[in-house]
Formats: sequence, structure tokens, C-alpha cells
Amino acid sequence: MKTKHLPVAAGLAAAGFLLSTAAFAAEPSVALVLGVKGSPFYQALACGAQAKAKELGLALTVSAPDQFAADSQIPVVNAVAATKPAVAVVVPTDAQALVAPLKQLAGLGTRIVTVDQTVRDNSFVETQIVTDNEQGGKQAADAMNTLLGGKGKVLVITQPPGSAAQDARTTGFEEELKKYAGLDYLGPQYQSDDPQKAAEIVTSTLSAHPDLAGIFSTNDQGAIGALTGLRQAGALGKVKVVAYDAASAEVAAFKNGSIQALIAQNPKVEGEVAMQTALTLTKGGHLDKTTLTEIVTIKAGDTATADKYEYKGDCM
Amino acid sequence: MASANDPTSAAEAEAGASRDVWGRLLGGGWIFLLLIALIVIFSALRPTQFGSAYNLSMLAVNAAILLVLSVGQTFVIIAAGIDLSVGAVLVFASITSAQAMLHLSGAPGGTYGTTGGGWGVVLAGLAVALASGAFWGAVNGFLVAVARIPALIVTLGTFGMALGFAQILTNGVDVRAVPELLVDVIGSGTVAGVPVLVVIAILVSLLGAVVLHLTRFGLHVFAVGSDAEAARRSGINVRARLIGIYVLSGMLAGLAAMMSTARFGTTTIGGHAMDNLSTISAVVLGGTSLFGGIGSIAGTVVGVFIPIVLLNGFVILGIPPFWQTVATGAVLVLAVWIDQLKRRARERG
Repeated sequence: MKTKHLPVAAGLAAAGFLLSTAAFAAEPSVALVLGVKGSPFYQALACGAQAKAKELGLALTVSAPDQFAADSQIPVVNAVAATKPAVAVVVPTDAQALVAPLKQLAGLGTRIVTVDQTVRDNSFVETQIVTDNEQGGKQAADAMNTLLGGKGKVLVITQPPGSAAQDARTTGFEEELKKYAGLDYLGPQYQSDDPQKAAEIVTSTLSAHPDLAGIFSTNDQGAIGALTGLRQAGALGKVKVVAYDAASAEVAAFKNGSIQALIAQNPKVEGEVAMQTALTLTKGGHLDKTTLTEIVTIKAGDTATADKYEYKGDCM
Repeated sequence: MASANDPTSAAEAEAGASRDVWGRLLGGGWIFLLLIALIVIFSALRPTQFGSAYNLSMLAVNAAILLVLSVGQTFVIIAAGIDLSVGAVLVFASITSAQAMLHLSGAPGGTYGTTGGGWGVVLAGLAVALASGAFWGAVNGFLVAVARIPALIVTLGTFGMALGFAQILTNGVDVRAVPELLVDVIGSGTVAGVPVLVVIAILVSLLGAVVLHLTRFGLHVFAVGSDAEAARRSGINVRARLIGIYVLSGMLAGLAAMMSTARFGTTTIGGHAMDNLSTISAVVLGGTSLFGGIGSIAGTVVGVFIPIVLLNGFVILGIPPFWQTVATGAVLVLAVWIDQLKRRARERG
């Protein structure tokens, strides 16, 4: 029976992991907990962190839950807590639900850094590394106004309320849009990281408003779905698209002209900053409560910048 | 039919006999041995981290909510049904109960943090949660037993409806203020060093095991799952039993909702999307047949722990996230294969 060898093989594989990780035991240990597995953004962040950790001599382990949700992430945070790392860099998936487990982790002597998202009660957080999502939303509204020449109907495709970053992008967009009297705001529609749903939203909106002029998507899945919907309706290029993030699919669409502007963060730099922060903490240094990282508007034709900011998990 | 002298059929028969032996061996608590083996391996590799009292208590807390849901799912699957709505019913019940508790404590809707609601408020919230769960269970049971719509479709439908109503009630924004008592005493409190959530899960499992294996209701659950028509002819009210089973599953989802609210200090509308699959795979891992008629609560308890122990151990060992997904998926397939072996062994007598 071949199956008899399975436990042996598993044991050997596990022993291999033991040896390979034990080699770094002398370096300060840093645990990075991402928001979800398989997202280009978080992978790029992990890649930036991994390269920097190597450079700085930090022993980094990366983990992530199956879904971007507190109930999936908390078991991962608990497992990380059991390894007692010197520093834990966490993308909290919920502003409230993650407070208790992170506080517990801080109580065990681990220094806590949040990245990308943050928690409501941050008394125990050394620093929160964030981008100004509201500012990003404003930049999107400015780009939209320029693209449409100040006139037309605009739709927002975002996540259901509850995610702080997505909410802030929408809020920023809506605030800035008030400055542009010629733009007619149709309101937000919700997709839950589901391109299919975003496509349906776009085709239905086009049925109701054939003169739809612009779409702002607050994340990559919404943008990909919106483009699918526009292609289906034969409105690609006619309806201008401004999209948050620079996932590979978005950058490709940007290059072929179906997306006219990208609002990009720099996840690799966020990962690097996180490791720099961790090093400072292990050396006993102090940090500002908030560390802001950059956010850029990439305008049509600027493929060089798009390439530079593309979210690539190229180290995994 | 080939004669017994035929060499190929003799070899086949021998192979069949060896499969039978394997099937019986695997059926006899193999999955429990797998769990023990996992714990031993992880403890040996990382004794101070995996084996710490802190980590083991965290493992138990992570299992608690899923275990309560899985006990209900065990009853449903033994009765040859399936309940895909458990996660959504949990979310719905957590919303209705949290809103009720918020209302009774007199705090405004948008409040963050905790309220000063007393035990009366918490008990009222529990009643609302159980009633909400029972309501969706009754809907499921009625549609399955009386309208005769396949359980897969019914519970997929109520999954959407319960989640949709939860979003309508809240505009998609979680209720983030729950009584401090609930969070402190139930969510993070302990009884003699054992987390309260774990105590609740143990009590539910024990009670579930007693009802399933020692009462007439439990016997009827097995009978309905083995052969509904035979059960009907022998005088069992199959419809009433089926409705009862789905109501039980719904009420346990309601109880799990209170545990979830207590643990997270907030409702979690965006979460629990995979709870249905997690509970089904736990039940199947525990040796309950997806075709009904066979199963046990003890098996389910083991089945709940296996993916949780795997995830925890993999994270502690620092195995890359994508490999964790592969490994956990492989264990599920292995378990279904075991289920097949067991059934074949049984059919051969």
C-alpha cells in the first residue's frame, strides 16, 4: 500500500520546514498576517516585506486567512501569537473584531503594527501604516472630472459598507464630486469582490441610463467586472473608467485603453516600510502613531508609471 | 458471471477482501488517530509554541462556534439532508439579537464599543437569537418536508434570504455595540480555566450526543436518513421529524450567533460565508455519511478540530499560505475516500 508512506513523507516534509526555519532562530522574528490569501495587492506587500526583511536581517513568516473576514483571520492571528514573534505586522480585516485578539497578542510581549487597514482602539498599536484612502477617492473624482470634461452621469462600484478603506474611498469621491456641478452622481452599487456581480451592475445601469459617462471602481475586482459589463454592452471606451489599485489585469486594461485612470498605492513600499518599522521597534526605537505611504493618480498614456506601480506578487 | 476458478476474478476477490479489511480499520476511528497524529507531530516540532496551554485553549475557542453549528449539521446530514444556510442564519440571528440588545440598553444605533446592558438584556438577546434561528429552521424544514423541494436548493435559497435580510436590517453596517457583560463574561471569560465558549460547545456536544444516540428522536433521525419510506411505513411522522431536525439546526445557529457576537464584540456580516462548507466537511470528516443513516457526534467533534489544528500548526511551522490551502483540501478528499471505503465494506457485509 503506497498510502503507508504518506505519514512518513509528511513527517519528513515537516522536519524540512523545521530545519529551514530553525536556521533563522537568532534573528528577531517578525510575523506578517495579510488580509486574505491570493490577492495581488497583499502578495506584492508580502514580496516587498520579504525582500526588505532579508536585507535587514529579520526572520519573517507570512500568513493569511482564506477570506477577508474577521472570523477567518482570528484563528491565524491566534496561531501567530503562539509563536511569540518580536513584532507582528497585521492587516486587520475588521476594525472592531480584531481589537481583542491583537490586544491579547500585545499582552504577550509582541509589538503590534497595523498595515493597510487599522483598528478602532489603537492604544496598543505601535504604528499604523496606511494610505489616505479618502484622499485617493478625491483624486479619483478629480481624474473623472477631467476625463468627462466636467459633464455626465457617474456610477460608483464599491464594497458593501463596513470596510474602512473602501468606505473612505467612496466618501472621498463623493465629497470631491460635490465641487463638480456638471457631474450627475448615480450613487454607489455594491459588489463583494465579485466581478460577475460588478458586470451585472454595469449592464443594468446602462439599461437604465444609456448615457452613463463614467464609472469609478474602488477596487480591482469591481474594475475587472465593470470592464466585462462594458464589453458586453459594447460601451468599452465610451464610458470612462477610473479604478482604484493597479492589479495586473487593471494595468493591462489601462494599457489597451479600456481604463482611463488608475489610483494606485504602492504595496511593495508598504511592505518595506513595515519591515523598517519592525526593525526600529526591535531596537527599542519610537515611532509616530501613523505612517502614511504614497498614493498616485496614473493618467492615460503613462504606461511607464503603470508598470512601476503594478501589483506583482513576483516573489511567491 | 465468472467462475471461481477464473484467476482474474480470484485476484479481484482477494483485492476486494483486502479493501474490506482496510475499510473496517479505517471505519474504526481512523480519523481520530489522524487528529492525534497531527497533534503529536506539531507538538514534537514546536513543543513550546504549538503545545503551550495558551495555544491549546485558543484552538478550543476557535473550534467552539463551528462545533455548535456542526452538531446541528450532523443531525441534518444523518437524516439525509443538508443545511447550507447555517452561516447566513448565524449572521441573521446575530443581527436581530444585537439590535434587540442595543435597543434594550437604550444606546443609539451607530455606537462603537460596549453598552451597559445587564443579564436580562443578554438573556433577551439570546431568546431573540434562538427564535430567529428556529424561524429559519422552520422555513427550511417546511420547504423540505412538506413542499418537497430538495434540501440543497431550499437551504441555498434561505442562505441568500437570511443574509439579505441581515443586510437590509443594518444597511450592511455591523452592529458594533454589544453588552460588555456578554463580551467579558461569555466571550473572553473562563470557568475554572476553561473558556466559557468552550464550556458551551462541550455542553452542546454532550447534549447532542445524548439526543442523537440515546433518545427515540435520535433513533428516528437515523431511520429517516436510512430510508424515509420505510420510516414512514413503520409509523414515524417523517415530516414532523424533518421539520424538527431543521429547527434544531437553526436554533443551534442562533446559539452560535450569540457566541460569535460575544467573541468578536461585533456582528460579522462579511464573515461566516464558508461556515456551511466548514460544518459539512467537519461532519463528513467525522465519518457521517453524506447519504444519511450513519454518523456520530463524537466523529463530528474530531472532524471540527482537524482543519483548525492543521491551520494552526501550519501557521506556527511557517508553511506558506497557499500550501496550507492545498494540504487542507487534500485532507477533505482523503476523508471522503474513507467514507467510500467504509460504505463499500458495509455493503459487502
